[in-house]
Amino acid sequence: MSASSELTLVRLPDSVSLHARPAGAFVRAAAGFDATIEVRANGRRASAKSILEILGLGADGGTELEIAASGDDAVAAVAHLVELVTGLA
Amino acid sequence: MAAENGTGVVGLVIVSHSAAIARGLAELVAQVAGPDVPIVTAGGGPDGTLGTDGGRVLLAMREADVGAGAVVLVDLGSSVLSVRAALAELSDDEAAGFVLADAPLVEGAVAAAVTASTGAPLAEVASAAEEARNVGKL
Repeated sequence: MSASSELTLVRLPDSVSLHARPAGAFVRAAAGFDATIEVRANGRRASAKSILEILGLGADGGTELEIAASGDDAVAAVAHLVELVTGLA
Repeated sequence: MAAENGTGVVGLVIVSHSAAIARGLAELVAQVAGPDVPIVTAGGGPDGTLGTDGGRVLLAMREADVGAGAVVLVDLGSSVLSVRAALAELSDDEAAGFVLADAPLVEGAVAAAVTASTGAPLAEVASAAEEARNVGKL
């Protein structure tokens, strides 16, 4: 199995900010993967596995998120997180 | 032995001189971390005044440890003494199920609870709380 990397853009639904409950759900999901996962938004970057860093992004509804992962399960991780984000509406 | 062969989710104890701070933080943390993490508060002194109470802390610790141990977070100064007094009441085996985290109260509690909600073991949950010191607010 070779390491891979993956990068995808996904927009937060207009009605959902990546705060509180959604942020917790996002970090819990990210923690299930071995890959290193980074989220970039508003010119900031956060580890997808750190709730404090994710909250620090200040990603309000409608914000464009860049999710980048590297590691054996990077492709699956990004796909799962993109699905989670779009499903937050 | 809870920490070594326990099952279930690591719990959280929030110790504050103010019952209102402890309650409010527990509410915030539960919203971020979800319903599966046991969060127990020990806020205020024995007579309802501002302060901390080792007996109340001990009860909270026993309630928060549902088999996988618990991380204890404190606000200021003498709350540390109350936790140490509570730990002194426990046998070595029982005390091994608890970690008193050297962490900021709000950020530490949020980080610890979300980590606990992933099913992480006691040491990892405690580390998450302590790493909160290194995450800036701005």
